[in-house]
Amino acid sequence: MPAEPLDPSASDPNGAGPAIEVSGLTKRFGERTALDGIDLQVPRGCAFGFLGPNGAGKTTIIRTLLGLTHATAGSMHLLGHPVPAERSQALQRVGAIVEEPRFHPYLTGRENLRLVAAVRGPEVRSLIDPALARVGLSDRAEDRVKSYSMGMRQRLGVARCLLADPLLLILDEPTNGLDPGGIQEFREMIRAMVEQEGRTVFISSHLLDEVEKTCDAAAIVDRGKIITQGAIADLAAGGEARHELIIGVDDAQLAQTTLDASELVLETVPSHEGLHVVLTGGPETAAQLNTLLVRAGVGVMRLEPVRHSLEQRFLQITSRLDASAAPEEVRA
Amino acid sequence: MNATIATQMFGADFLKLRKKRSTLIWALVLAIVPIVIFFTVNAIEHASSSSHEAAGGINSFHDGVRLLGGLFFGPLVAILIGVEAGTTDSSDGVFRDLVVTGRSRLALFATRVPAALALCWTVIIAAYALIVLGTFVFASNLPTPSGSLIVEGLGFVLLATGVLCMVAVGFASLIDSKPGAIIALIAWQVIASPLISSISSLGSGRNFVLTQAIAHFGPAGIKDARGTEVVMSGGTALIVILVWLAVFLGLGAWRTRTMDA
Repeated sequence: MPAEPLDPSASDPNGAGPAIEVSGLTKRFGERTALDGIDLQVPRGCAFGFLGPNGAGKTTIIRTLLGLTHATAGSMHLLGHPVPAERSQALQRVGAIVEEPRFHPYLTGRENLRLVAAVRGPEVRSLIDPALARVGLSDRAEDRVKSYSMGMRQRLGVARCLLADPLLLILDEPTNGLDPGGIQEFREMIRAMVEQEGRTVFISSHLLDEVEKTCDAAAIVDRGKIITQGAIADLAAGGEARHELIIGVDDAQLAQTTLDASELVLETVPSHEGLHVVLTGGPETAAQLNTLLVRAGVGVMRLEPVRHSLEQRFLQITSRLDASAAPEEVRA
Repeated sequence: MNATIATQMFGADFLKLRKKRSTLIWALVLAIVPIVIFFTVNAIEHASSSSHEAAGGINSFHDGVRLLGGLFFGPLVAILIGVEAGTTDSSDGVFRDLVVTGRSRLALFATRVPAALALCWTVIIAAYALIVLGTFVFASNLPTPSGSLIVEGLGFVLLATGVLCMVAVGFASLIDSKPGAIIALIAWQVIASPLISSISSLGSGRNFVLTQAIAHFGPAGIKDARGTEVVMSGGTALIVILVWLAVFLGLGAWRTRTMDA
């Protein structure tokens, strides 16, 4: 079951609604449906991951939001502005990298930023130097972009986004081509933008680990549909904020009987690691369960919260979808 | 969009064009090298044979203006620069980054035109200055063009190359392919236009050939600058030029506004 969308104004200091709000968004390319009635809300002031396998529709939704291609149906709002009706106002404070950052290779990094500054407005030119400094490219600003590495181009792409002094950054596969050090730097920069500057960052990616480490919330998209969305921890737990424990005991049968009789426990399943216990409450109930077991005469050797990985959840969802799609494909 | 932003956007487009070395070098080669060769060969011939008239003077001025404005090299420069202006954002993949600034696509298209004109005319004026210089330096005892003829000649080459440059911007924006636009426009200019103009059975239909309409405005003082194949009134020639501009700039703007970026 899809998780409840996050409260759109939860992180919004101005209470001005979600950074991105999409309802019933559909995009067809001829017979093929790339986006199929997408509903999505991205709260302000967070890093939001948009996860999906290749070809799921991640880039299409970004291109549609930014007005690079037209929607077939549905409504969209960026920073409270309806798009495409108020596209110009909406995009004034939006920075975006779509697919990969592209530049005129024969111009320098600074000249490429000058081009965008000229289009954005006269006051933007003063933001070029701070943007270059922010991404660590001040000393290479006068070099032609054709001499830049992929990582430097990614950073220059972020600098170009910063020229908008963006309330919302939309980054499409931003860590593609970065080495581990570059990915770490990039992650830190995103977190600083969110935590210190209050910007909203929307990251499309197929790298689950990256989204889990960088983002506060995420949506999983596959075959043009949002499968689930919510806070990362909730998504990883299976769409609900479930808390689970692995409990190692000396008498598994007595322990299971004791736990099954408790209102604190939803489900107990024996496993090779011990008893896998699903709690009805929060993690604080672990101590109560420990007391309960000890009083029942069970020796507790291990009591450990289960750490859910987004990757497990993602694979679970997509493999389920594959399984449900298979009979149709066979019939087709 | 206010004047400050328009000026900045023009400057940005001009920067893109003038820094594109391959296009600029080819434009300079096409505009200047034929003129240098023309005067050099004539000077050598004059030096080797006194029966051959001097390399400069009024006749060389006429030939130079026809070379730059009416015939091959000036229009080629205009096509190269116009096509570059019409496709460079798209071919380098940065058009979408300009679109996501929220600036109107029509504004993005519109600023390509003056930037292309500015660079095209800079190159053409440099080549024209070379013609005038050669005309006087190598004149020997031959008559030289008057000031008004020099101004008229300049006006003609700027008109001829400017119109073609704008058509090239629109056409290249429409088909969004640099090689395709260059090949099609050169084929039209060098092969199709003269061919159609020479088919007398087409009658007044030949009025719609752009080069014939432009040639109508060739300075009367420059022999053969006006088209010889097709005769039309000044009003018709003006309308034909305006229709060409309206159609191709309109199609280019439409394509820029509606294309997936």
